[in-house]
Amino acid sequence: MVNQDEKILSLNNLSMSYGGDPVLKWIDLDVYPGQIIGYIGPNGAGKSTTVKIMLGLLDGYNGTVEVFGQDIANGDPSYKRKIGYVPENAEIYDNLTACEYLTFTGEMYGMDADEAERKALLLLDKFEMRGVFHTKISSFSKGMRQKVLIISSLLHDPDLLFLDEPLSGLDANSVMIIKEILAQLAAEGKTIFYSSHIMEVVEKISSRIVLLADGKIVADGTFAELQAKNEEGTLEEIFNQLTGFNEHREIAESFVSIVREGGS
Amino acid sequence: MKNFFSLRMLDYFRRLFAMLGVDYPVMRRILQVKLTMDQRRVPTIFEQSKTKEGNQFIKSLGLYAFYGLILIPFIVFGDYYLFQMSLVFSMMMFILMTTMIADFSAVLLDVRDKNILNTKPVNQRTVSMAKVVHVCIYMTQVTGAFAVVPLLVGLFVNGVLFTVIFLIEILLTGMLIVVLTALIYIFILRFFDGERLKDVINYVQILLSVGIVAGYQVLVRVFDFSGLNIEFTFQWWHLLLPPIWYSAPFEWILNGNPAGYIVAYSILSVVVPIVAIIIYSRFVPSFEQNLQKLLQYSGDNKRRAHRVDRFFAKIVCKSKEERTFYRFSALMMKQEREFKLKVYPSLGFAFVFPFIFLFNEISRNGFGGLPGSKYFLTIYFGNIMIPAVVHMLKFSSNYKGAWIFRATPMRDESIFYRAALKAFLTKLYLPLMLVLSVFFLSMFSFRIVPDLLVILVTGVLHALLSYKLLNNQTYPFSRSFEFASDMDTAKNIILMIIVGLFGGIHYLATLLPYGVLGYLVLVIIAAMISWKLVFSIKEKKAQAGQS
Repeated sequence: MVNQDEKILSLNNLSMSYGGDPVLKWIDLDVYPGQIIGYIGPNGAGKSTTVKIMLGLLDGYNGTVEVFGQDIANGDPSYKRKIGYVPENAEIYDNLTACEYLTFTGEMYGMDADEAERKALLLLDKFEMRGVFHTKISSFSKGMRQKVLIISSLLHDPDLLFLDEPLSGLDANSVMIIKEILAQLAAEGKTIFYSSHIMEVVEKISSRIVLLADGKIVADGTFAELQAKNEEGTLEEIFNQLTGFNEHREIAESFVSIVREGGS
Repeated sequence: MKNFFSLRMLDYFRRLFAMLGVDYPVMRRILQVKLTMDQRRVPTIFEQSKTKEGNQFIKSLGLYAFYGLILIPFIVFGDYYLFQMSLVFSMMMFILMTTMIADFSAVLLDVRDKNILNTKPVNQRTVSMAKVVHVCIYMTQVTGAFAVVPLLVGLFVNGVLFTVIFLIEILLTGMLIVVLTALIYIFILRFFDGERLKDVINYVQILLSVGIVAGYQVLVRVFDFSGLNIEFTFQWWHLLLPPIWYSAPFEWILNGNPAGYIVAYSILSVVVPIVAIIIYSRFVPSFEQNLQKLLQYSGDNKRRAHRVDRFFAKIVCKSKEERTFYRFSALMMKQEREFKLKVYPSLGFAFVFPFIFLFNEISRNGFGGLPGSKYFLTIYFGNIMIPAVVHMLKFSSNYKGAWIFRATPMRDESIFYRAALKAFLTKLYLPLMLVLSVFFLSMFSFRIVPDLLVILVTGVLHALLSYKLLNNQTYPFSRSFEFASDMDTAKNIILMIIVGLFGGIHYLATLLPYGVLGYLVLVIIAAMISWKLVFSIKEKKAQAGQS
């Protein structure tokens, strides 16, 4: 188990721009072991950018980013050994079989090939995918791909997980399994950084919610704390309120009326 | 996963890689995965079996070996090495550069690697090196296949020393090409970003592959053929022609010609690739950074008018549905980069080739003889590209969007095929031929108008034949470019011969009085009938379970 007081992740004054307007504006965030952070925000708020910076995929930011106490700007990629990542757009070498892909990524994280293969098969078996272990990923359904990605992010027993819409394409039963897995991993002291647009899930699984809007953190706390501050019921409603959005009904009405134009 | 031969060879250099700060086992593993993926060019959607060893790549190597035979005459022909080997190396550079650009740009510019590999505890240098080595392995195989027969012939005819020099020079050429291509990308990536960048790369790729053909012509002209002697008079700008660099060592060592410029060339042939590699290694980090630009979207949001498309659609299509698909096809051809990349170079060649053959004639007999002659028939070389382009109509990088063909409530399927072929003929073929015609008319006088019409109509006929043979009712833009190389070579050769056939008959027709006009009537009727035959109405079948 990891020391509970140790910062797993620390962003200090982080800002980033792609040439034009800043995407992130002086973000400060400390994350401790065992937290499940629901990282939410409207499209284009800078969620993916933050995650990419922490994974070392983006350079050129200002401020400091420390992961496991190590400043990631020092050029040593070894901090990634204890990180798992499920990318948002499900990028995967789909010409490979599930076995080949999982073994490969496991080895990239420094695992032994046989060990990675053994573990991958056991994990796939839990999703009832043993039968497609040697089938190419390109023939998989969206849900099956997603399960492969989730396994690939967990195979090496990471301490920090970045999940970007990890439940997309999964059926209701699989969603229940994954939610339970995340809860148990957090109980073991793992830290999970969970970004999603599905507020119901975020509300249920997160121990802490961070809302990003327009490159700034506009809310940070447990769901109960957010509720207390904002006098609104669900996370979805809080989200709408904090991002200043309240005309969904009007937009929907006019949308439907355009659809119906010229119709019978 | 296979333990590839190339990787086992690589193992001998593991020390070297370790010295360069590369994590060798990791790099080897990445390469193994990449090579495995290269081998699998089988549509997995239809194949539930585990793995089917695609021998497509081996087949293509066979084709390169076949091309290599072209070099043999230049090797055995004599000992004027400066000339012969310049030609050999220019052909080699052409083949290498075009394969590099066409097949391997995707590897150099792959952004998927970033998310998959760079999130792992692997240092950037290892990932970059894996990329370079991956390209090198591929290039070595292609070069090897291309050069193996010429090397053996050289060994028997010109001796061991020749072969040793040849081998070294081939290696240097390969290095130069790989690094040069990479440097060009680095250069472009520095100055452009987002969507514009992709367009620029696209056009550079197209220009490069056409430019190399034009470069050939310059090279041959450097030598002066007077009688049986081939003269070479040194001028400073000849130093800019890499193929001559690589021919110089043969002249120096085998013919014992220590002239200053020969030595200078020889030095260049060694120094330039090495300098290029050093420059490249300096720029790699910024290259990887700039690659990120490929992921950014900065598309402008302007309405594009497409008036020309609408105009043509009205003329060439009867029904409203067909017009819709015509405009769709025209848009795909105009806006899809990968399609352009595969097709526009062929168009470029189609434009350049007629002139190349024409200039050979002009350089022999001057312009004076042209107007009365039949050399305008060289324009048929422009038609050679038709099968290749028609073949490409099946492919798209967004092939998955082709479900739309099945989902539309249209009964007559032939509309899709017809519209795509019409779009090709009017948007790509016709403009090309018009430009060529303007040049040819200015050189040959208006006398050749009927002939040009004949050529145009045979182009349509040829497109129809190619369509029937190659595409036969595959939805346009419905397959992945991965399979674009599975072109049936036999059919392709037949279609090439057909161009010659059309040209031959045309030539015979010019010998008869009113022959060309008669031939014109004939080909028009033939085109009309075959159009009807090829695109007879076809009811959409219920195609369950296919994607």
